[in-house]
Amino acid sequence: MSQEPIDAASHLVVRQASKRYGATTVLDRVDLAIRRGELVTLLGPSGCGKTTLLRLIAGLALPDAGTVAIAGRDVTRVPPHRRNVGVVFQNYALFPHLSVAGNVAFGLTVRRRPKADIARAVDKALALVHLDHLAARPISALSGGQQQRVALARALAVEPDVLLFDEALSALDRKLREEMQGEMRRILRDINATAIFVTHDQDEALTMSDRVAVMNGGRIEQLAEPRLIYQRPASLFTLNFVGLSTRISGTVVACDGGIVQVDTKVGRLAATGRFLAGSQVVVATRPEHLRPAAGATGNAVSGRVRAVVFQGSRSLVEVGAGGETLLAELPGQEAALLAPDAEIRLAWPVSETFAFPAPEMAA
Amino acid sequence: MTDTALPLVKAPAAPGRERWLAVALAAPALLILLALFALPLAKLLAASVAGPDGPTLAEYAKLLGTPYYLGVIWNSVRLALLTTGIALVIGYPAAFALARARGAVRSALLACLFLPLAASVIVKAFAWTILLRSDGLVNETLLALGLIDAPIRMIFTETALIVGSVNIFLPFMILPIYTVVAQLDPRLMEAAATLGAAPAEAFVRVVVPLTVPGVVAGVALVFSLAVSAYVVPTLLIGERYPTLSTTIAKAYLLARQPTFGAAAGVVLLVIAVATVALSTRLARLGGAR
Amino acid sequence: MTRPLAILFAWTMALGAALFLLAPLMVIAAASFSPTPVFDLPVGGASLRWYARIGQMDGFWPALSLSLQIAALSTALALALGTLAAIAIAQGRLPGAEAIGTFLVSPLMMPGLVLGIALLQYFRAMGFSAAWSALLLAHLVVTLPYVARTMIAGLSRFDFTLVEAARTLGCTYPGAILKVMVPALAPSFLTAGLFAFLASFDNYPVSIFLTDVRTKTLPIKMLQYIEEAPDPTLAALSTLILGATVILLVASDRLVGLHRMAGTGQ
Ligand SMILES: Nc1ncnc2c1ncn2[C@@H]1O[C@H](COP(=O)(O)OP(=O)(O)OP(=O)(O)O)[C@@H](O)[C@H]1O
Ligand SMILES: [Mg+2]
Repeated sequence: MSQEPIDAASHLVVRQASKRYGATTVLDRVDLAIRRGELVTLLGPSGCGKTTLLRLIAGLALPDAGTVAIAGRDVTRVPPHRRNVGVVFQNYALFPHLSVAGNVAFGLTVRRRPKADIARAVDKALALVHLDHLAARPISALSGGQQQRVALARALAVEPDVLLFDEALSALDRKLREEMQGEMRRILRDINATAIFVTHDQDEALTMSDRVAVMNGGRIEQLAEPRLIYQRPASLFTLNFVGLSTRISGTVVACDGGIVQVDTKVGRLAATGRFLAGSQVVVATRPEHLRPAAGATGNAVSGRVRAVVFQGSRSLVEVGAGGETLLAELPGQEAALLAPDAEIRLAWPVSETFAFPAPEMAA
Repeated sequence: MTDTALPLVKAPAAPGRERWLAVALAAPALLILLALFALPLAKLLAASVAGPDGPTLAEYAKLLGTPYYLGVIWNSVRLALLTTGIALVIGYPAAFALARARGAVRSALLACLFLPLAASVIVKAFAWTILLRSDGLVNETLLALGLIDAPIRMIFTETALIVGSVNIFLPFMILPIYTVVAQLDPRLMEAAATLGAAPAEAFVRVVVPLTVPGVVAGVALVFSLAVSAYVVPTLLIGERYPTLSTTIAKAYLLARQPTFGAAAGVVLLVIAVATVALSTRLARLGGAR
Repeated sequence: MTRPLAILFAWTMALGAALFLLAPLMVIAAASFSPTPVFDLPVGGASLRWYARIGQMDGFWPALSLSLQIAALSTALALALGTLAAIAIAQGRLPGAEAIGTFLVSPLMMPGLVLGIALLQYFRAMGFSAAWSALLLAHLVVTLPYVARTMIAGLSRFDFTLVEAARTLGCTYPGAILKVMVPALAPSFLTAGLFAFLASFDNYPVSIFLTDVRTKTLPIKMLQYIEEAPDPTLAALSTLILGATVILLVASDRLVGLHRMAGTGQ
């Protein structure tokens, strides 16, 4: 369900790639096209096939069907050592018999670079990850985060065309991680490498990537800019997986000009979307669009405050109405006035209300 | 960071009571080996220099100064070198196949390793005397295949000695290498590949260095076993190939020359220990770990 | 060499090695059914008469019983002492743990013959001449390092935080040891016991210096028999021992898996 047309100018193209292990389909006709120098994050629940997709691109696994192309060349059957990709493995895979510097130098050594060049490149890569003082250490004497940074330096040192990061920053503290995110953006721009970044951290995905690919059950549900992923989720899964939302199920009673009228337990709501009357749908919106009602435009629902969660400058207000739950994000002072169980009426614009097909029970 | 043969869990300084508990746990084994291993060895060392009037190195001079006994020492070392070399050439690739095997095939192959290990050395050596007789299975097969016209003499030759010795000590080469290979993280080969190393190069640069500890263990084990083998040369070649072991046994059991026997024992011990120490040292120089 | 060729080569070596290793065992088994006293392969007709003669071998029963006693006792003692020492070493609370560990396994490097003559002189100097006790003590020196090596290796791979994890999940301390540590170490324990037993049962070079006319272990008896009057009775006996070993190995494979034993064996 990838919306992007696969354009010829893309640097990395995965087309209709499928992979099965025994009876389980781990990747199901995945399409992915990434421009040169672009950074795409893969976001998805554990076990959805992110690592497998990276392995396909790196050449560590063969797809059962479909192709992988890098820079216009079909590399589906090219072995990994001739693809010029850099991989940061989920468990690092550092060579235990080599020192920190030995690990970072490995890719350059097998490329038969002159010794002096290697030494310079290793120094540079280690400086980037702030490990220059540990160059001579054995791998076994490093902390988890240090190991991760060595893996990063090792992948960067060869200046690959395509960089694949499998949760490359997960073991770092927040400050170091943010620093590394910035560094990596810069490095990627410098070497003009195309990168795929697997992460479980939504903030990381939304802040550092050019585009986000949301994966689910071996498929890419949506590939779009972070803003669109958040503001215009293409599926209920994406809406659900990325960020918070209010979701109310109901039945379409009328459709007119891209606006549907939906009967729900909390009354009639309007949403953007095209459905036949009688369809079961889920109506959804993001919490920041809900406001304590003043006017009568758009959708409005009355309910009782169930909880107020303090989040710094803003607060999250949970409102119960007719068996459904609404989430509203309000400025701190406004929320502070709300007592638990108080009556409240919330309203939000129809343009920020989406309708998705209700998940089928059988599926 | 010191190199350790045994990876140990380093605990913070233990409170006194736990330390004493640990000492108490280790004490019985330690005392037994002190009393029955370290002390007897020290006594042996003393016995090897015992003379009628004070300590003397006469027996060592005899061992290291007579061409005959130098030949005996060389016989032991030569047997060990050949056995170790051949076992390594067969055992290294075999260990890789074994590590790739799964399920029933793996069990069967491992049984082929364990079963001979569990069988008596005497019985196996004896079996080779039957196999290598002039009317034995090997000769009959070679004749049937037309490779030879008349039975060749194999038993009581060096060929028989080496064949039997490799046969008996080969599992001690395969097992340590297999253990190391089986524990190799396959992702390391993949990482090498993504860094641009072709399979052969990744093998040489990543797999081979990581298997060095297994190879060293196997080489040290096979060498020290073969250099001191007694049953194998006794049954497969006999008097024609005197080794340090047979010389020691003769000195004690027949000739009643305990001082000479003790000296020969010390020489054998030094060779065995030196091999282990040397190979461990070489492995470290080679950059393993 | 391309990859498929390398794999083919490795498999050839492995299969060749397997055949080569089995060859003497198969020959012995075949010869034990020989109809004649000269180790003919039983082509014409098999005979069981050598099996019937095992019991009549001169001094066979006492030798077998002695070897079994010594092997079983020394293995049991070594398992107890070696495991305790290994726990002390692996937990790292022992001062000089590394040196002690090296010392405990160092007799493995020792040529058996040298250990034999060293003990012979030592016991003689002390005026200690009871052959049975001398054999037991000597075999303890043979078996203890096997157990120490295997158990130290097994324990050093054991993650002691697993015990802590089990305790946070509601196990008592002994319960955690029983539920987490014992299953993890069972293969090591079994391997150590098996190899220690076999090392003792098959030992020749140490025992030969410590026996007297009446106290002879089975290997000594067998070598004597081969040198004096070899006939297929010995093959029959060996085949029986091999059969027992096969049963032991199959049971071990079922219990913990041979590959785990190979992994912990070294
Ligand atoms: N070699 C394999 N054999 C069988 N199944 C496999 C294999 N490798 C992966 N799988 C299965 O494929 C699915 C996808 O695995 P993958 O490693 O790609 O997930 P992931 O998205 O990276 O998960 P995580 O976020 O937990 O790392 C999982 O269900 C996994 O169990
Ligand atoms: Mg993964």
